[in-house]
Amino acid sequence: MNNAEPDIILQTRNLKETYMQGNVPVHALQGVDLEVRRGELVSIVGPSGSGKSTLLSIIGMLEIPTEGSVFIDGIEVTGVKAKAIPRLRREKIGFVFQHFNLLPALTALGNVEIAMRFARVHKKERIKRASEVLTEMGLGDRLNHKPSELSGGEQQRVSIARALVNRPAIILADEPTGEVDTKTRDIIIGILRRLSDGGQTVIIVTHDPWVAERTDRVITLVDGKVENS
Amino acid sequence: MFDIILRNLSQRKIRTALTIFGIGLGIFAVIVMGSMSENFNQTFETSFALTADKIRVFGSSGVFGGSVTTSKAAEVRKVPGVHDAYGLLMAPLEEGGGMRFGGNQVIGLPPEKSQTILGPVQVKEGRDLMRGDRYVTVIGSSIATQYDIGVGDRIEIEDKYFTVVGELEYTGSFFDASAAIPLDIAQDVYEMGNMVSMIFAIPEEGVDGDLLAKRIKLSVDGVDTLSPSELEEEAKQGLMIFSVITVSAAVLAAIIGGLSVMNTMLMSVMERTKEFGILKAIGAERQDILMMTVGEAAIMGFLGGLLGLACGWVAVFGINLWLAEKGIVLFLITPRLVAIAMLFAILLGTLSGIYPALRATGMSPMEALRYE
Repeated sequence: MNNAEPDIILQTRNLKETYMQGNVPVHALQGVDLEVRRGELVSIVGPSGSGKSTLLSIIGMLEIPTEGSVFIDGIEVTGVKAKAIPRLRREKIGFVFQHFNLLPALTALGNVEIAMRFARVHKKERIKRASEVLTEMGLGDRLNHKPSELSGGEQQRVSIARALVNRPAIILADEPTGEVDTKTRDIIIGILRRLSDGGQTVIIVTHDPWVAERTDRVITLVDGKVENS
Repeated sequence: MFDIILRNLSQRKIRTALTIFGIGLGIFAVIVMGSMSENFNQTFETSFALTADKIRVFGSSGVFGGSVTTSKAAEVRKVPGVHDAYGLLMAPLEEGGGMRFGGNQVIGLPPEKSQTILGPVQVKEGRDLMRGDRYVTVIGSSIATQYDIGVGDRIEIEDKYFTVVGELEYTGSFFDASAAIPLDIAQDVYEMGNMVSMIFAIPEEGVDGDLLAKRIKLSVDGVDTLSPSELEEEAKQGLMIFSVITVSAAVLAAIIGGLSVMNTMLMSVMERTKEFGILKAIGAERQDILMMTVGEAAIMGFLGGLLGLACGWVAVFGINLWLAEKGIVLFLITPRLVAIAMLFAILLGTLSGIYPALRATGMSPMEALRYE
């Protein structure tokens, strides 16, 4: 079912998420409705516990909402069978994590090309594309370095390259600058800005007002509800 | 995927090595016990093949237990369908040795029938027994090795010296551990009068051995028979029990090795919870995670199998070499045993990896990512 406008790449409808903490129900999201246009650089801000990360997890199909729907690129991802989720996640979503979440045993190149393995891309093509994306990230000379041999900024750039390499509809970045210094923060945000300018949709969850200011639009979540967008 | 599996294994070298060692130990046991069983099986099969055309006739007091007189051979010979029949006296070669599987034995046989009885086995050196022979013997290859004797040498049997006139080729059968001497001399040295251990009856061409065995039993008083198929059946049952006992012990050892794989994989899966979360977040399918985890376990099984096989081969080779001086072959590694051991090792590894793999695939990606 496609209920979204053609330039709307993400739409959530009455998104609710409730989980139990002991015997106490916690309402992490209480009816979130939002839309994101193709190529938009959006930030989601809000105090701790406001539901930012939960929202990102649901959009990224890592969690199933208690109620409501998510449409990505015209597909209602909350309505598909569980078996189809990994393929959709691969094709539609690229994740950038605060703690980079690179695989320590793999090199920078290995960390990026592994994302394409699951998409059954041929090895030659995987290596070519991963090398290209890493080079675009300024890591052309660090391809064979393991995460432990890279700086925080370099690791985050590998993480962005990994998110980007399957050409997803949306990049979801959860506090992508939370673990880096201000100089690296500028570089990371610069990269995400450049991607957005090139037509890539990017959604950033951040606590950092400096980061939020540099996005096209700021969505504020408070107590699981959108306060302004 | 294979490169990732190998990389994951190499990340935890000591643990991987210990697990492989555990499986290797189990497969070592499978190889050693299995090769002993294989050797007994082969010895029986070859022995049986070499005497498959003969019906055993015993005294009716019990199979293998009842002796008969030499004269019974003449009665058996008269039964229609019997081509020939003659008595054999079987006794232990060494004093106090007793008749036991793998022990050396003396076969007292009519010298003129020597070629018929020993016929399937080629005389490597010297000659067969002949009519008129007295204190001479034709020895099997194991006896030749054990006693370090050959044609022209002498061997002591029941305080009498026998000259070796022939040496048989190695067959892997009971003939290897046998010394054939003339029947009358054997009866004399073992003080058996005119008794024999059994009569070998050879059916005429085209006569069914089973039917003839029944006919002999009905026609000759005081005898019992064992047809070739009955002998095979009885011996196979005995061997089966032996195989089950030896192989079960080995399989138990291997299963313990399998449990160590499961333990390693469970620890590994727990440690890599976050990694699985990452893999799922970047689009790994359930089967990708399954293949990765089960693949690791299977490779540990395979490597453990190789290790066990190599160690088992060295041990078996060493023991066989040592026992060769005593003329005994105790172990036999066959292609069948190698295939079974390796398949078992891989299967064990794979099965042990399934539960940890299912745990890995069953994790919620979000919970896995939050895991510290």
